[in-house]
Amino acid sequence: MHDPVLDDLELHRRLDAGDRGAFDELYRRYGPSAFGLAYRLTGQQVLAQDAVHDAFLALWRAPEAFDPARGAFRTFFLSLVHHKAVDTVRREERLRKRAERSANLEPVTGEDVAEGVVDKDFLGLRRQEVREALTTLSPEQRQVLEMAYFQGYTQAAIAQELGIPLGTVKTRTLAAMRKLRRVLYRED
Amino acid sequence: MTQSHEAIEELLAGYVLRSLSGEDAAQADHLLSDHVPFCPVCRDSLAVFQGVTADLALAAQPLDPPETLLPRLHRDLGAKGARRRPVAVFAVAASVVAVVGLAGLTVSQGVRASDTQSRMNDIGQAFDFARRPGASMVPVDSSSASTDPITEISAPGVQEFFLVGRDLPSPPPGTVYRVWLISGTDPTFAGEFLPEPDFTVVHLEFDPNVYDSILITVESAEAVPTSPLDPVWQAAS
Repeated sequence: MHDPVLDDLELHRRLDAGDRGAFDELYRRYGPSAFGLAYRLTGQQVLAQDAVHDAFLALWRAPEAFDPARGAFRTFFLSLVHHKAVDTVRREERLRKRAERSANLEPVTGEDVAEGVVDKDFLGLRRQEVREALTTLSPEQRQVLEMAYFQGYTQAAIAQELGIPLGTVKTRTLAAMRKLRRVLYRED
Repeated sequence: MTQSHEAIEELLAGYVLRSLSGEDAAQADHLLSDHVPFCPVCRDSLAVFQGVTADLALAAQPLDPPETLLPRLHRDLGAKGARRRPVAVFAVAASVVAVVGLAGLTVSQGVRASDTQSRMNDIGQAFDFARRPGASMVPVDSSSASTDPITEISAPGVQEFFLVGRDLPSPPPGTVYRVWLISGTDPTFAGEFLPEPDFTVVHLEFDPNVYDSILITVESAEAVPTSPLDPVWQAAS
């Protein structure tokens, strides 16, 4: 039984040494999650593809940006993809049409992982845990988290959009993050 | 530090979601450089929140990327010159660097006893580079007139270059200097470094000719390098 975390570290070590096979393996592992995330944020194939492309290319060109002492590779890389996608969304604001989002943007609770997705086994268990954790949030908490993380809104923009004080957005966000922290990291 | 941990945690939660703006973003930057690196509670909160946000990515439906993406990446892996290695930073004694450009100098005379053979090799590389035909040394302008400039040393047709800085000020605790190469509006993170005493030499295995400009920023060492902050130094490439 392989340990995915250790495998990631080994793949990163090989990537750092310029091993393209390691790059391909990391792409195989994280490409679908990365693309799903980027697509959810941007709502457009082309923009999502650009964001994922930029993230993988940044990984290849500066592998030392990942420091194993600071956390898991998955944390680093998916954060990198998220940052690239948020940057893309904000840059391409005029292209965003939230009303036309695809089925990929349906509420996450109860979604099934798509058939044939190559990382199903690799990240499937954690994916299920995350989805269950999200059900523990109140609708208000989920809303601000959704708008911030998956739609690229700033907290100020969320406050404006929802017509609530900025302080309320901050409070809900922190409460949501703390609850997810407790559930996902088994903290009391 | 006058803010409560509750308030700091609130900012960190917004920071990891990339949802801060204005004054909140500025406050978070200060916290990340002045407080978080020295506070175990906040360090732990930041690390866990970063993990939570990365986990949130898994809530999105995974989708197979278009079949064209991997071939496109394969093409780009080899573009713009050879794959670079991490930025090499090394300090050299003033007596050595002060004569960069003078042919025939015996490099070993000015190097500190503690320097290693590999550092010697790097210094020798910088010397050789500066002596290449057509090599140019261009100041990288500082946003502060009181700060000595960094000099970019590049040579035509060579897909690498050096940055040499003298008496560079240390960035605030918890921060590092980051080098960004800008092509159009697209930034490429080239690496990060901390200054050494006297002279700091940064070797970058990028072709400077394919980038429009070079930015050097001060950023939190904890932050994922995705886009540059305001530059401390910058120059056309």
